Amino acid sequence: MPDPLLYWKAMGIATAASAVVVLAILSLRRSASEVWCNAACVIGIGSGLAIGNAVLDLNLSWPPRNGLDRLLMIVIPAVLGIEFMAGFSRVPRVAAWLLRISLSLATPRILLHGSVYLSTTADDTASRAWITMVVSGLGLTLVWGLLSWLAKRSGGLSIAFALCLAIQCSGVAVMLGGYIKGGAAAIPFVATLMGASLALRAVTTYTPNRVKIDHADNHVAEGIVGVGVVSLFSLLFIGRFFGEISTGPAITMLLAPLLCWTTELPLLRNRKPWLVASLRLVMVAIPLLFVLIAAKQKFDREMSPLLAIVVTTGFAHEKRAHRNRR
Amino acid sequence: MMRFLSASTRMLVCGVTLCVFATPTFAADEYDYDLVHSSVSFKARHLDISWIHGRFNDVAGKFSIDREDPSKSTFSLTIKTDSVDTANEARDKHLRQPDYFDTKQYPTIEFKSTSTKKIKGGYEVTGDFTMHGTTHSITIVLMGGKEHTFKDVKRVAFSTELALKRSDYGFDKNAIGPIGDEALIMIDCEGVRK
Repeated sequence: MPDPLLYWKAMGIATAASAVVVLAILSLRRSASEVWCNAACVIGIGSGLAIGNAVLDLNLSWPPRNGLDRLLMIVIPAVLGIEFMAGFSRVPRVAAWLLRISLSLATPRILLHGSVYLSTTADDTASRAWITMVVSGLGLTLVWGLLSWLAKRSGGLSIAFALCLAIQCSGVAVMLGGYIKGGAAAIPFVATLMGASLALRAVTTYTPNRVKIDHADNHVAEGIVGVGVVSLFSLLFIGRFFGEISTGPAITMLLAPLLCWTTELPLLRNRKPWLVASLRLVMVAIPLLFVLIAAKQKFDREMSPLLAIVVTTGFAHEKRAHRNRR
Repeated sequence: MMRFLSASTRMLVCGVTLCVFATPTFAADEYDYDLVHSSVSFKARHLDISWIHGRFNDVAGKFSIDREDPSKSTFSLTIKTDSVDTANEARDKHLRQPDYFDTKQYPTIEFKSTSTKKIKGGYEVTGDFTMHGTTHSITIVLMGGKEHTFKDVKRVAFSTELALKRSDYGFDKNAIGPIGDEALIMIDCEGVRK
């Protein structure tokens, strides 16, 4: 059963842990470069996720037994490692992107490992599974690439917040579909991404001379975007293939953060930063809201009778009709 | 004449040899699980005050029963977890998800015997029970074993009940609460001879 108190506790602790780690690492140097900021965010997110998941007690096991175990114990450490390395200026951008694309293509295969989708012997089903994995991997690469490009181009804390919004909504949608643990897993992701982003923003705003980055007030670390996109994709993928989320809502939630690009339109591009950020969040929130409303309606229709107190049976209807006739 | 005798002797020897070596293979009767006349059902506590009942509709199995040497008898059963049926479609969907049976990851529940002992009124069968990706050795008491031939088809039937703790099989302990940890599984199966 969902435990809201536990979720709030996990969210608070994970946010605080990631923020404290980022602040602690950034305080180690007099002036932090972009590499240093990215490394701090990646380590902060990793620490926050470890603590948040421990608080949530997600019953993980090694070797991983299911898609969620593989996400938290293989995919996320891999993306943290790649983003940590990719931040270093000595690593060529091409190499960094090759690693990211490899992980994007491997993630669907890792998440589906050992499931009925891959153990089938029917040729058409097996080929369909491979096509699904390749298309999903390409989709992840596309979203990752476009958001990273936007982060480099115009930056903004709103990109990290838009990802948090999408991850939280996907968690709620997965939960409303009946996969409670899968939905709860979104909480530490949202918390740590928020914690790391806010801590980095606090440093760039209040101690600008400690940071050596161009347009530091608008900077969003690559690691935040990477972890955010991969976690969003993976939660939706697990919800779609192991839970009860449909393909349409899953794709909508995955693509929603790309609506941040709308503020790059000539009319909106040079507006005040707070207006651009608000517009981005509103644009991202609109499709997510529709998906959540649909998920809630489906939940009320299908799942709530399981939690509801009274389910009227045909016999009860007959008794009521008989009483009315009298 | 001599050639004829030698040929007939050879045939006789071959026939006797075949009979001698073929006899043990007929000692064990092999049966297939009869889905029409069998059921695998379960019940679990709800809120610790009542029981929820359900069944699995898709089950397959094989029994090999050796009346002369019961220790050579074998039993195997494969239950498709996707076929869970609690007379409520929404609950069945929920039970198929990773919080419970995780049917996409673990499509079957399996039992495979490793040793069999004849007891009064049935068999005591020890075997590997695999559920939710976790295997434990369990011992079940199969009562029955009575044979009946109906319309030239030989049938045998067994029944058993076993209690399992979901937490022993890697089920999420956070999902254990409103629905109790312990589940009772009732198996009534009929086998038809191949």
